[in-house]
Amino acid sequence: MKEKERQRKNRDIPEALKAKLRDSGVREEILCRTEVDMDTAGEYADGYLLLTKDRLIVALLPPDNRRTRSFRGFGEQEPADGAWVLRMFDAGQVESVWVEDCIGCNLIVGRVGGMEMPLAGCSNFRKRRVVDFVRAMESWTKDGTVKPMTEPEEEYCPKCGRMYPDPRRKVCPHCENKTSIFLRILKYFKPYWPLALVMMLCIVATGALNLVWPYLNGAVLYDRILAKDPAFLRQIGLGEGKFALALLLLVLTMFLTKLTLLLAQVLQGVCSSRMVVQVVRDMKKDIFSMMGKLSIGFYRSRQTGGLMTRVLSDADRVSGFFVDQAPYVLVHLFTITFTVIVMWSLNWQMTVMTVVLLPLLVAVSLILQPRVWVMFGKRHRAERSLNSCVSDNLTGARVVKAFGQESRESKRFAAYSDRLERGEVSISYWQNYFQLFYGGAQELATCAVWALGVYFIFGGGNMDLGLLITFAGYVSQLQGPMRFLANISHRMADSLNSAQRMFEIMDAVPEVQEAEKPVHLDRIRGELRLEHVTFGYEVNRAVLKNVSLTIPAGQMIGLVGRSGAGKSTLVNLISRLYDPQEGRILLDGVDIRDLAFSDLRRSVALVSQETYIFSGTVMQNIAYSNPGASLWEIVEAAKLAGAHEFIMRMPDGYDTMIGASGKGLSGGEKQRLSIARAILADPKILILDEATASVDTETERMIQKSLQYLVKGRTTISIAHRLSTLRDADYLYVIDHGVIAEQGTHEHLKEQQGIFYKLLELQTRALAMRGVD
Amino acid sequence: MMAKKQQEDFSLEQMEQESEEVLRPRFLTKDNAVFQRTGGGFLSLETEGESYSRILAARMFPFQEKEKYLSIRTTDEHSKEIGIIKDMADFDEETGQMLREQLDLRYFTPVITKILSIRDEFGHSYWEVMTDHGPCRFTVRMGGNSIVHLSDVRILVMDIDENRFEIPDLEKLTARERKKLDLFI
Repeated sequence: MKEKERQRKNRDIPEALKAKLRDSGVREEILCRTEVDMDTAGEYADGYLLLTKDRLIVALLPPDNRRTRSFRGFGEQEPADGAWVLRMFDAGQVESVWVEDCIGCNLIVGRVGGMEMPLAGCSNFRKRRVVDFVRAMESWTKDGTVKPMTEPEEEYCPKCGRMYPDPRRKVCPHCENKTSIFLRILKYFKPYWPLALVMMLCIVATGALNLVWPYLNGAVLYDRILAKDPAFLRQIGLGEGKFALALLLLVLTMFLTKLTLLLAQVLQGVCSSRMVVQVVRDMKKDIFSMMGKLSIGFYRSRQTGGLMTRVLSDADRVSGFFVDQAPYVLVHLFTITFTVIVMWSLNWQMTVMTVVLLPLLVAVSLILQPRVWVMFGKRHRAERSLNSCVSDNLTGARVVKAFGQESRESKRFAAYSDRLERGEVSISYWQNYFQLFYGGAQELATCAVWALGVYFIFGGGNMDLGLLITFAGYVSQLQGPMRFLANISHRMADSLNSAQRMFEIMDAVPEVQEAEKPVHLDRIRGELRLEHVTFGYEVNRAVLKNVSLTIPAGQMIGLVGRSGAGKSTLVNLISRLYDPQEGRILLDGVDIRDLAFSDLRRSVALVSQETYIFSGTVMQNIAYSNPGASLWEIVEAAKLAGAHEFIMRMPDGYDTMIGASGKGLSGGEKQRLSIARAILADPKILILDEATASVDTETERMIQKSLQYLVKGRTTISIAHRLSTLRDADYLYVIDHGVIAEQGTHEHLKEQQGIFYKLLELQTRALAMRGVD
Repeated sequence: MMAKKQQEDFSLEQMEQESEEVLRPRFLTKDNAVFQRTGGGFLSLETEGESYSRILAARMFPFQEKEKYLSIRTTDEHSKEIGIIKDMADFDEETGQMLREQLDLRYFTPVITKILSIRDEFGHSYWEVMTDHGPCRFTVRMGGNSIVHLSDVRILVMDIDENRFEIPDLEKLTARERKKLDLFI
């Protein structure tokens, strides 16, 4: 609460500005405001845009290059204060204000008294709020009212001040996650607890037996048996002088110890590999099903390919850590503690010696290892660019050959592989370097122990040769766990980061969500209405602006317009791949946001120029939209789509394997399959997005014919560049730069002599010219 | 009937002409173009009988040529090219200065002169640098396309809001600064 108050206070305008406003005669209440961070000469400068009922005020401080600019990620800023310069514009004069996107910055421009002028600038960091402000003041220029600005999203963790990676999810990676991530990962292991238990037992057994081994081959072998200690024989219950038998027993014990060790390790390996495979599978399953639920917008903002591989390899890394590293933390701690205790009981002076020297090893690891990690990262990046060079070349082989650029491509490849080579070399260089230091420190520790031990033996203290050997064994055994623990923090951070990325996807909130209590429509008539729909993929760039239209049930409308005019965006909104930012879309009078996903998806089908053929049989591909369809229904649909003939020309008919793993299909054939799919889906609303753009004229005519069957009795929205495609449309809309520029029937539009007429003329003329040829 | 036919022909002619205009480059030189500062602080243009109350100057090769190959465009929403300036040096110094101002208004990329620290945590890296526009602190998303290599030694850094920062020559940085960049190059 206190934090909130502090923030609010921070957001208050600074004292000197208040005074300046008072002095300049601004007495009215400030209705809304926003911060800007650049002036109109391309310099960083602090400032505000303020709006009162009578005027727009631009308050700027002179540019100050000494002030640190903090952008997103560095918390709320202390507002700057100083010698404010005000520019005031009376409400009557300001005609409009807008934000112009520049390169790396934005310009806020106003039209005041017929003159366009820059008011202030802002970085992309401030852009969202500034755009909000400008939108809020749209009505102000007309009637003096101000729309409330949206509250800014809480972006920083209130506990530690770090930025949320996703402000809508509000999970701070630093504060909440470490333990919760840990527990969440453990959940994946829960179903396999018997395996985990066996694994733990094996690990503990290994640790314990490792402790016994040096004692057997050192103290027992040398000091008891070789030194012929009679007390020892009595102790283990053997007769006087039977040292040979004792030796045999010892060897047998040693053999059994090693054998058990081996067995435990094998068993552990089997358990861990079984567990890892299953856990990774479970994680990937979860990720994949989540990816299906995410909205298209999520994929737009990320690179899908990279995302996929990264996430999948993340799953490997996470579970790998939990199986191959995490359990050993306990074991190694246990080993270290007990080894030191045992050593202490054998000889405390030498133990002190060892314990003093071992931290040296840890230090070497801590200092040198991170460098090696950076090198690994570098090599990974080099590898990636090499791979993408190869894949560029493979996919573009035709172009490369056609332009005769093989040798240049080889050179490009050579440059990348040189980089990779340098990466490899520097890694092995550093690794050897590391080995040198680490090995050196290790040898130093061992030598010191030997020297001290021998010194004790010379001095006739309580030290025997065997004990010394045992001791040396313990020392070398300590080094592994020490080194492991020195590295564990890095590995753990690495794995938790992977886990975080994974959970980020699993927890991502889909932008398009089903309503909590969705409305179910049993019978959909198919009447569509768009009311004042505004939408843009990015801030400040609306693709559709205040579009309203009504499509009566069963009618076919055509959408015409230049590419990029917003036609496809409109149908994306209807199929709810995105939600409009303003306005709403009604299906039979119900907002599609309230409609159950299943009902909506069932009633809308899309045939676009992007055909999706997955690997499977022709039949499976057609039945994709309706898996329960009977074989005859599939054939019927294919017949109507004009696909039956070419399907029957293939050797295995409807059972022919197609897609990635099978026979290739031509563009027109794929198109006809997707039409068959749409026919089988039997939707109430059919969207044809350039369905015939990629096929030749004859095929188009065929497809047109089958489309005529398809559109009967359905609400159809058809997008086409070829206006001949839209002959059958009941009504046409011409979309230009996101607004409906013209509408009407074919004849009506022709008479209007507008954009449609122009396009039509161009196309007939183009056709006529072809005729001449 | 006859009249209508004529009208159609005429508009077709016009369309042809329009598309030819789009295809053919038009060069602006000091002989055919007059730029003037507007009262609001933008630039207006008079050329070959056409007059534009405000124009916009865009670089065709922003990373290679700062003062050559400028596209002079209209500022409305569907910005169209009015003409091309091959080299700003062809104009007098005053016009050059005015164009430069407009370019500075549109292109903003602080140049990093010193890297103070780069901290990498939870998938973001936090940069504190010195630029020619003063000290800046910004956040870069890891593992994306946030670092663009313009050449072997020149890189462009985009923060999570796509603010831009440029390092013109990696080799001019100290070894210590380069080490901080190791994660990215």
